[in-house]
Amino acid sequence: MEAPVKLRLSKVAKTFDTGTQIVEALQPVDLEVREGEFVVLFGPSGCGKTTLLNLIAGFEAPSAGEITLDGQPVGRPGSDRLMMFQEAALFPWLNVIDNVMYGLRWQPRYRFRPRRRREKAMELLKLMHLEEFTESPIHELSGGMKQRAALARALAPDPKVLLIDEPFPALDALVRAKLYTELQDILVRTRKTIVSVTHDPREATCLGDRVMVFTGRPGRVQAEISIDLPRPRDINDPQVAECAGVITAQLEGAHEK
Amino acid sequence: MKSSAERKYRFYVVGFYFVLFAAWQLLCALELIPDYLFPPPLHVAKRLWELGADGMLWPSIQATLLRMAIGFAIAAGIGLGIGMLMGMSRVVNRCLKSLFLGLQTLPTAAWVPISLLIFGLSDRGIYFVIIMSAVAAIAIATSDGILHIPPIFLRAGDTLGTPGYAMPYRIILPAALPGIVTGIKLGWTLGWHGAVSAELIKSSVGLGYLLYMGRELNDASHVLGIMVLTILFGLLLDRFLFGLVERRIRIRRGLERPA
Repeated sequence: MEAPVKLRLSKVAKTFDTGTQIVEALQPVDLEVREGEFVVLFGPSGCGKTTLLNLIAGFEAPSAGEITLDGQPVGRPGSDRLMMFQEAALFPWLNVIDNVMYGLRWQPRYRFRPRRRREKAMELLKLMHLEEFTESPIHELSGGMKQRAALARALAPDPKVLLIDEPFPALDALVRAKLYTELQDILVRTRKTIVSVTHDPREATCLGDRVMVFTGRPGRVQAEISIDLPRPRDINDPQVAECAGVITAQLEGAHEK
Repeated sequence: MKSSAERKYRFYVVGFYFVLFAAWQLLCALELIPDYLFPPPLHVAKRLWELGADGMLWPSIQATLLRMAIGFAIAAGIGLGIGMLMGMSRVVNRCLKSLFLGLQTLPTAAWVPISLLIFGLSDRGIYFVIIMSAVAAIAIATSDGILHIPPIFLRAGDTLGTPGYAMPYRIILPAALPGIVTGIKLGWTLGWHGAVSAELIKSSVGLGYLLYMGRELNDASHVLGIMVLTILFGLLLDRFLFGLVERRIRIRRGLERPA
């Protein structure tokens, strides 16, 4: 009784024309993401994993192949495939709660219903332990708080797929470890379908149900590994470390060939 | 809370002006230049006081400020509109940028003769000079502000579902606001130059007119007094009207610390 396929990529490829030459950023990729699944795209920089995320989000169009969400081809960017960026990218002209409410304004259910928007945002801010900072300007938040606020903002419009580009790169190890736990906790509660990108094998094993290992130049999928460890996983758990080793070995194997 | 460092700076600033005026007074006391050409500050202050007591100053200050308020509002509207078009279309930007940069190098007083030809001595000519002086700077600053928006804000706006029609006022304008406010400040200063230049020739009331009158009367104290007054009002508006708005925006965004 597997969950239905939410996001399907068939033979999706991307080439860039730099004017002087044509660069193959991503060789054809097939990928099915099931409802509630967390898929991690893992690989070194320049392997096309972020390109793939941009294609799903709609920031760029694939050169070949098709991407469908619930059977419908995806088009321009929208909150059904909501992307979280490396930097929190919170709007500095809005305070915390206005940032979290921002995406709700464009949802039919919340259009012209500011009070409902506020209730929904408060609920998410509580989930992120940010209820004391609702009216704070963005620059007063710490790095970890900013990422939690960004996560709240991303979850508010209830995206069908949440796309996460290198979730917490600029944070120190302690804050990251805590955020991984929180993120998993939220996943369990909301059963979100998530595709994320990372170059950290431990992060990949800690978060993913499935890890797609990418190799670079040209970018392609080297291996696909299911992670069957129980959740919540601790980033410092020996089993996570062991599994991370397996994933890294896949990359090294690719380089030796 | 004013920090002690801030208080110290204020002390120095007050001291600086005291020394400046004292030096001016002293220089005049040496009588190197006849004092009807270069009057000491006390004479200037006295003349200014007399003009005020005669009811000469206030109507002129009022007239210039009113012209600025109207002329500048129009200039800001036009400048913002053109600047937004320039910021959102590369073609428009390429075409208009060189033109506006050229216009910006034109001294504001250079608009006065053509405004005399077109509008004669009417007040509309003064508005024309204010608008032409200010528009280019506002348009360029607005377009630059938009072109320098970090792309991530546009992407975030897109992925959060912002419809195309709402992007300009929900994302683009607020993101470019710090740059736009700087441009508006610059536009105000240039408009102020234009207003006073135009009033020198075209008007029977206004700070520029008072300057011209002082020259006609061969009264250096009068001329210097009005100059000081013009500087004072320019500074006051720059610091307190636009300066405060700009600072509030910058503090809110964490670009500047509150004092």
